[in-house]
Amino acid sequence: MSEFKIGQREVENVNILELKGYLDAHTAPKLEEAFQSLLRSQRFRIVVNCRDLSYISSAGLGVFMAFIEDVRNAKGDIKLTNMSPKVYNVFDLLGFPLLYEIFKDEQEAVTRFFPKAK
Amino acid sequence: MARPRSSPPSSATASAEAESSESRFENAALFEFSTVINSSLELPFILSHILLTIMGKILSTRGMVVLAHAKGEFSVEMVKGFPQGLKGKNVKIGAVPRRAFEIAGLDARRHSWVKFFREEGVTLILPLVIAEKTIGVLGFGARATKRKLTPREVTYLRSLANISATAIEKAHTINELQRVNRQLDQKIQDLSTLFETGKEFSALLDPERQVRLLELSLLGRFLPARYLISLRDGADMKIVASKISGQVPQGELLATLGRISVPVRVADIVVSGTVDVREALTGLGITIVVPIMLQGESRGQILLGEKMSREEFSQTDMEFLSSIGNLAIISLENARLFKQAIEKQKLEDELLIAREIQKGLLPSVLPDIPGFRMSAANISSRQVGGDYYDVLALPDGRFIIAIGDVSGKGSPAALLMANLQATIRALVPLHLDLSELTGRVNDLMCENTGGNKFVTFFWGALDPGRKTLTYVNAGHNYPYLLHSDGSFDRLDRGGMILGVMKTAVPYEEGVAQCRGGDTLVLFTDGVSEAMSTTQEEYGEERLERALRGAMSGTAQEILDAVHRDVLVHTQGASQSDDITMMVLKIL
Repeated sequence: MSEFKIGQREVENVNILELKGYLDAHTAPKLEEAFQSLLRSQRFRIVVNCRDLSYISSAGLGVFMAFIEDVRNAKGDIKLTNMSPKVYNVFDLLGFPLLYEIFKDEQEAVTRFFPKAK
Repeated sequence: MARPRSSPPSSATASAEAESSESRFENAALFEFSTVINSSLELPFILSHILLTIMGKILSTRGMVVLAHAKGEFSVEMVKGFPQGLKGKNVKIGAVPRRAFEIAGLDARRHSWVKFFREEGVTLILPLVIAEKTIGVLGFGARATKRKLTPREVTYLRSLANISATAIEKAHTINELQRVNRQLDQKIQDLSTLFETGKEFSALLDPERQVRLLELSLLGRFLPARYLISLRDGADMKIVASKISGQVPQGELLATLGRISVPVRVADIVVSGTVDVREALTGLGITIVVPIMLQGESRGQILLGEKMSREEFSQTDMEFLSSIGNLAIISLENARLFKQAIEKQKLEDELLIAREIQKGLLPSVLPDIPGFRMSAANISSRQVGGDYYDVLALPDGRFIIAIGDVSGKGSPAALLMANLQATIRALVPLHLDLSELTGRVNDLMCENTGGNKFVTFFWGALDPGRKTLTYVNAGHNYPYLLHSDGSFDRLDRGGMILGVMKTAVPYEEGVAQCRGGDTLVLFTDGVSEAMSTTQEEYGEERLERALRGAMSGTAQEILDAVHRDVLVHTQGASQSDDITMMVLKIL
């Protein structure tokens, strides 16, 4: 029943992951793979656009935790954007806003990677 | 806002007019105050606005809000003008008069809390009362004008206090509602996580992925700075996932952790024994230990460090951890059993094939040898050893009798045995002498085994006319030639076992001369090394006794007697090797 897809784009040298559908215990490995492949190719500026993400479970959230340290050690970051209130509620409930920058809009997050440019 | 211009009270009418205009102004101010503080649910905003409004009204530079948080317990919630250090200070307040009053009039001996306010320089107290319940107290420093409050001012302040109390209470209630709602959301999230991971755990049969799922779920749920998951692996605990500061726990520390059977905070661990678990875990940045239990037995632990949110682990958290750990272990256990069952099935299938090969190689009918009666049997063990026997009639009237034991078990042994049989059958027609043939068989076996397998082998050419057996023994259990008086010869001439190294020294041939009434007994070590339940070998002494006792019988009777005796010895203990015997009775 649970369908989950990841789209990938690049905007101004920032890697955008677009999540779509259900990110749960079953589909979490897909996101792991996506992060792994970004890290392998040394891409550490990551924005995860959650516009079409309809559900996220603890295992899904765990994936963000599993990679954030490596990404930040490489001077990059994982920023999150465009969450529906329902999805944001879960992130908020588990304390993610303390550790991750969450933006309403993707462009805001992208711009954040270049503080002096704008 | 326009201030009403007050005209000098020249007459009674003018005075009444001024009063009504002032009252209109007060009403408008109360309305605005109410609108502002009810526009927000943020307590700090509400409290700040209340303090500033009243401080402005009475012209005081200092104000504080003290709010109730439990029965009779109050604490300072906000201060302006007073030292900021007062914030959060607990104040015990008993019965508070319900109206505003100046503190100078109160007896500190009757109301101990008055002392606190007086010491801090509070001169005016304004209780916040809702439905006869004091939910807080506003306190203010001395008025700049030093004037006493007029009754009218007191009434006005009471109105402000009433509006404030309602707004504070409303914000409290809604905040509490939000808190409860959030708790509920958290519970729902936990339940759906357990449901969903439980489902996924059992769908996965790969232990590595199951552990990873457990790891991700813990990471997402608790955001722990440090963590470690260990699982029992046989007698030891094995760390399957971790992010800790310092060296991973080993040996005694892991073993000690294995004895913890209820979720516990590291700070609460009672240290006993040689290892200071509390100190060791604290050093690793670990805050809680949750055992993973299966059937009342600890099968592993989840160790977590502090949450990055700095929140404490609640009882609910501990329960969630126990649940998810136990779900994981059930699935891990199922996966293990499943894998075991599959492997067992695979092994059984392989053994079945091996057994088929072996049965196919053994002669189904033994040829009649003039002057001899022969019986032979191979009883496969569960694991199928590589036993082999064969009887071939030669064109010159002689017979080749062979017995062998291939090292190893199962299919590999059965295949090598097939190889041996094919080699023998191909070489025998060459009419070479037995010593030469054995040398060739050995060389071929060496090429085929690559030196990592071997065969103990005995064979002989039986001449029925002369009743002689010319033989070569390549490392096989010495066959017996039993004489009717109970004495026997062992057929021990030959050389090295087959398949280990190429023939350098020719195999020696032996010749056994048989007489009427003699019995030739060939066997494999499955007979002599048959194990009893107490791990005692059957041994050649027992074999010899059994042979002597049965030697007056037919070949089949002798064979049966030995087999029975072996069974009595083993008492049903499972045998690791085949039992193979050939008995030739010389008429």
